[in-house]
Amino acid sequence: MPILQLSEVSRSFGQGARRVDAVREVSLQVDRGEVVALEGPSGSGKTTLLALAGALLTPTAGEILVDGEDITKYGARARTRYRRDRVGFVFQGSNMVPFLTARENLLLVGDFGAIDRPALRRRADELLEQLDLAGVRDQVATSLSGGERQRVAIARALMRDPTLLLVDEPTASLNFELGARVVDALLSEVHLRDKACIMVTHDDRMAQRADRLVEILDGAIVSDRPLR
Amino acid sequence: MLALLEIRRRKLQFGFVTGVVALIAYLIIMVTGLGLGLYDAAGTALLNLNGDHLAYAANSNFSVIRSRLAEADVAEVRALPGAEAATPIGYVAAVIEYAPEETDTAAIIGVIPGSFAEPEVVEGRPLGGPDEILIDRSWARLAGTRVGDSLALPIGFQTRNFTVAGIVDQGYFFFQPAMYVDIDSWQELNFQGDPADRPAASLVLLQGRDLDGLRGENWRVVTKEDGFNNIEGVQAQQSTVDALRYMGLLIGAMVIGVFFYVITLQKVSLLGVLKAIGAPGSYLIVQGLLQVLIVCALGAVIAVGLALLTEATVLASDAIPINFTTGAMTTASISVVIAGVVGSLLSARQVASVDPIIAMQQQ
Repeated sequence: MPILQLSEVSRSFGQGARRVDAVREVSLQVDRGEVVALEGPSGSGKTTLLALAGALLTPTAGEILVDGEDITKYGARARTRYRRDRVGFVFQGSNMVPFLTARENLLLVGDFGAIDRPALRRRADELLEQLDLAGVRDQVATSLSGGERQRVAIARALMRDPTLLLVDEPTASLNFELGARVVDALLSEVHLRDKACIMVTHDDRMAQRADRLVEILDGAIVSDRPLR
Repeated sequence: MLALLEIRRRKLQFGFVTGVVALIAYLIIMVTGLGLGLYDAAGTALLNLNGDHLAYAANSNFSVIRSRLAEADVAEVRALPGAEAATPIGYVAAVIEYAPEETDTAAIIGVIPGSFAEPEVVEGRPLGGPDEILIDRSWARLAGTRVGDSLALPIGFQTRNFTVAGIVDQGYFFFQPAMYVDIDSWQELNFQGDPADRPAASLVLLQGRDLDGLRGENWRVVTKEDGFNNIEGVQAQQSTVDALRYMGLLIGAMVIGVFFYVITLQKVSLLGVLKAIGAPGSYLIVQGLLQVLIVCALGAVIAVGLALLTEATVLASDAIPINFTTGAMTTASISVVIAGVVGSLLSARQVASVDPIIAMQQQ
């Protein structure tokens, strides 16, 4: 069974003449241990699709199953719990809490709900080590480099051991070499921990590192092909 | 964790608002202390009288200054059913020269020596004769007068010497330290005409039940508290002080509210990210309120410290009637904290309304 399955999902904004169909009847599935690169020009609906999969938006039509459960039927609290426990987000700008250290940014997710604190601390140290961040663990986020911040963001996304990683333009503000290192770290974690991942990008060189490439245009999938 | 760490890491920002809160809390504590001090100075000596009701002259409009009761009126009041005990008291203000070229006014209260209107002495002994006087501790502190000293009180164009028999702790009356003399001496100090025409008392102090509202042709009975509230200027003075205090709290609530609202607006995108990664709105609101509580509590503690320092230095001379009590400081501090929390509710609403989708929209 796929981890994520979107069936005929649509999402529009506005009404009447101002209606914009951001996503149109998209069907997509992502399996365990698979990284899907979602590529397309600006305004093609990539980010909206990611927001739908992360329950930040609800679709106007269609069904979104995560581990067989329809998340479109969730209420506000259930959506918060879903994002907390089953989804790991990595945003374009890393979006660290600026006044916290790298390690505190990771431990912060423990504040959001019941979790074994000692285990959380062990996991934070383990992720910092694996992502080559042990040396900067006690530095505040604002003093980290762009690459370090993005790796901290990946570590934070993995802290609660989610089944689904949703990654939005993780290398947009990085040069190619640094971006490639960040994406490789992400791929390694997904494969190692058997997660499912959608990575939005408009950088074809980064997209080529994924397991599958899905191209989207005007809210609809125009191609879906494996890369390995 | 988030609230505390933000305060620790953004010391300048939170230090600034804590300083502002401390100044507002200090102002409120000072105004509260001034209110209490003025309240005490207005007439604690009256409130401290060992009785529960007072009879005034009917035409005095419950003014101690204007109230004059004849012997027959006093006798009528004494005979009231329900009056377990009654004793006349007199009041007159006197200017006393306590050192060469140094004068001050005192409230001279005439009592029958040994009656329940005579206050207990904290030093020396009770009144023993018509030429003795009991002085309040505040006068002793102000003028350096001690037991056994002599005080010259004016009678018409003359003065009469009274020996200080004891010191009492009754406080002020009409913003003047209270002093107690034999009621016959009070009559002499107050009225220089034919002794037969002199009023017998200003008021009658009563102990008993169900006396409030009783009236005769020439007298009216009210509770001691009502009598206090009718002291000239007390109501207006307390209303003014209360208005100042409430204005201070309102300004405090607004300043704290605006500060945290601005901080919240600055953090909207971060709040969106935190919500997107699973932070419940309630968690973020609690963190915000925790910061408000910490800042306000710290501000209040600093303000109490400043108030105590002010009391020990600037106010040590008794020149300003400010009274800092633990209760008043606690009430003022709690009020500031509550005002801060109320002021920050707008921020809480703002936090609740942040849509996590903005985490995806800020690229």
